[in-house]
Amino acid sequence: MGFIVLIARLVLAGVRRHKVQAAVLLLAVTVATATLALGLPLRGVSDALYEQTRAATAGPDVVALSGDTGPAVTSALASLANEPEVIAHHGPYRIVYADLTTRDSTSSPVVVQGFGETPGAVNRPLLTSGQWVRSGGTVLERGFATALGVSVGDRVTIAGRPYPVVGIAVTAATSIYPWAAQIGPGGGPSDYSGLAWMTRSDARALASSQDLPVALALDVKLRDPATAQAFLDAHRVSTLMVNFHTWQFTAEQDMVILRDTQPILVVGSWLLSFLAITGVAALAAGRTVEQTRRAGLLKAVGAAPGLIATVLLTEYLALALAGDALGLVIARLIAPAIASPTASRIGDAAGPGGATVATATVLAVAVAVLSTLRPTLRAMRTATVTALSATAHQPRHRPWLTALSALLPTPLLLGLRLTARRPGRAVLQACSTATTVIAIVALLTLYAQPERGYGLDGSSALPNLRGEHDRRLMLTVTILLIALAVVNTITLTWTTAMEARANMAIARTLGATPGQIAAGLSTAQLLPSLPGAIIGVPMGIGLLSLFAARNSAEPPSSWLLGAALATLLATAALTALPARLAARRPVAQTLSAETA
Amino acid sequence: MNVSSAAVRACGLVKTHGQGQSRVRAVDQVDLEVPQGQMLAVMGPSGCGKSTLLHLLGGLERPTDGEVWVAGRRIDTLSERALARMRRRSVGFIFQAFHLVEELSAAENVELPALLAGRSRRQARRRASLLLERVGLADRAWHLPSQLSGGQRQRVAVARALVNEPLVVLADEPTGNLDTTATLEALRIFEELRTAGQTLVIVTHDERVAATADRLVSMRDGMFVDDARLAGSPTRGLGGLIGLEG
Ligand SMILES: Nc1ncnc2c1ncn2[C@@H]1O[C@H](COP(=O)(O)OP(=O)(O)O)[C@@H](O)[C@H]1O
Ligand SMILES: [Mg+2]
Repeated sequence: MGFIVLIARLVLAGVRRHKVQAAVLLLAVTVATATLALGLPLRGVSDALYEQTRAATAGPDVVALSGDTGPAVTSALASLANEPEVIAHHGPYRIVYADLTTRDSTSSPVVVQGFGETPGAVNRPLLTSGQWVRSGGTVLERGFATALGVSVGDRVTIAGRPYPVVGIAVTAATSIYPWAAQIGPGGGPSDYSGLAWMTRSDARALASSQDLPVALALDVKLRDPATAQAFLDAHRVSTLMVNFHTWQFTAEQDMVILRDTQPILVVGSWLLSFLAITGVAALAAGRTVEQTRRAGLLKAVGAAPGLIATVLLTEYLALALAGDALGLVIARLIAPAIASPTASRIGDAAGPGGATVATATVLAVAVAVLSTLRPTLRAMRTATVTALSATAHQPRHRPWLTALSALLPTPLLLGLRLTARRPGRAVLQACSTATTVIAIVALLTLYAQPERGYGLDGSSALPNLRGEHDRRLMLTVTILLIALAVVNTITLTWTTAMEARANMAIARTLGATPGQIAAGLSTAQLLPSLPGAIIGVPMGIGLLSLFAARNSAEPPSSWLLGAALATLLATAALTALPARLAARRPVAQTLSAETA
Repeated sequence: MNVSSAAVRACGLVKTHGQGQSRVRAVDQVDLEVPQGQMLAVMGPSGCGKSTLLHLLGGLERPTDGEVWVAGRRIDTLSERALARMRRRSVGFIFQAFHLVEELSAAENVELPALLAGRSRRQARRRASLLLERVGLADRAWHLPSQLSGGQRQRVAVARALVNEPLVVLADEPTGNLDTTATLEALRIFEELRTAGQTLVIVTHDERVAATADRLVSMRDGMFVDDARLAGSPTRGLGGLIGLEG
């Protein structure tokens, strides 16, 4: 018991003494686990939303569609409705291919379904506002209406005829916007389309007025929805052009919009975790001296060598697990928005599953363990006597460094000679920069992709939602990555400055100006950033090539070069502040503190 | 005494540390003039303000009140940057704790001020090896400070203080961390410097060090309580008038 109390007390003291460090660890782990917990169960969330929409709208198990409207098709569909497995059906109903234009002249392909004014047993679209179709009025599918910016009471023009929008609804019979047209005119390929409903007679009138292409559809409910595929296989008619869409197929189609979402989130969470580890490791390294001294003290009073490691690890683990929990909650809250970029589905995501929780927790624990590995091992190794008198570590002479720095101007020389005692930190800085550049390369690549808008003839008046969704997510992930990289850079510079304090003070007595000292410190951070930025570009391209479509475009090399340069400039600017602060410390005080 | 011949001059120098109750007058109304070529020893009990005085003279700290002149130029009003430039050219520091850069070899430590002062690598290297030879460390030039004894480290610090041929060397208890042998070695070097006409201000606890000086001032509670010309002093001036000659 006493042991646990002792550990708890030491952990609390540690957190209290290092509030900023605790906050950084907590936030970094939160962000990384939230991203992972969003990315992993994406399919599950998407399925759950489809499932809930399907339940709320009496979604069909199978939709049979034909681009042919002749009597043979009509009778084939009618006989389908009479099959013994079918317990209910809706239709056949007309699907008219038309154009829709809003008051502010946004145009889009639309499929108009002719429905009864009273809902049937199967495929009952759920009104989310307004009323169901009546003569002369149309109801728009919610994802479509949202993209158009149209609401109840607005007027739209369909195939040249004006219609008031009387309602907005969702359905599980078609895939989400813009994949409402399950088949194209004449059974051919379909364009990005929205969905609208009208009364049967309005749909007929619309079709005949302009001689628009029409398809027929039948929604059926089966005794056992799980047998949808078997039903479909049994009733495929080779002579007739009838397409069948099972509910599973429609649910699967919903995932298309999320194709790149999962890689962005999952790879993003790796990168975030990686930066979390480098940042927290940098913070932990700043504590090494104090940690070692504490280890010595504890050993001197008879504590087992494992105690100090236990305390440090417990502190980091506790914070990481708190971050994990927070990340999972955040992921839970924003999962529906991420998994459903259109407004075509209703419902809420279930909590993250066991696998997701376990994976996120493993990630959090890994961050804690990896970032404390070095100080823990060092604390355990250090003998009591040396630990008590521990200051900085013994420097090593690096002749190559001397040779190199002899060629450089004074601030560079100071930066190298006075701060290059920590190659590990230089590696951290390089990794941090490389990760940032990787993310920026990915972001730029996404922005460089040509894409077809959802408007008429691919017009971008209606933007490509998938592209927008991907870019927005990538932007968020990149911003988070940059934020962590900024914290890392400031931490690393500050830690370096604190460790080089004595040397900087000595240099000041020898006539180095504060400006030279600050420049030297910045340089020490900037030098490892340079290879980091250079490596980041090909690494980013390589990483993307694992996920990107074959025909994806590469961003112009001037963008990439600009990104690497901007990262370096930003690093220089970021290091300037802590470096300047450190350089302004009074010299005399530092010197006498070193003597004491 | 002619002002222009003073290497370092201070008038009404005051430095207070802390505020309110814990306010300390580390240096209290000190007037001081160190002519060129003089070796001045400052003695006094611990905490009487010797280090603070030295920091003020070298521009490492700014006075609360009063003026500091180095090489005929007032320095207490200079910017940090200008102060740094002044130190490069005119001041060499030697500390009790040596304060060598641990990562740099002896030679590199000595080169550092020369490089900061804008000398070429070659010049800096030549000066460094010359000075290391002079302090008897030619064979230790590429050792790191951690591989040197205390006495050797202090001699590196002396060489470093001299590399830019400063107008004045300010030494703060330079023998405080040295054993007898090393102290005697350091004394020999200071004696050499004095003979060479180097202006030196040495803060010390050690009577033997003080005995080599031209002049000895005693400090107590931030003030000078005694100012004495020592025998063999090359310059006899104001000290004689005050009648404090030893
Ligand atoms: N940075 C500081 N803050 C507060 N007090 C200080 C500081 N530096 C020196 N002092 C005080 O000023 C007085 C003189 O200090 P110092 O010049 O170091 O004395 P000496 O070198 O003669 O031992 C002492 O009382 C010391 O405590
Ligand atoms: Mg002192």
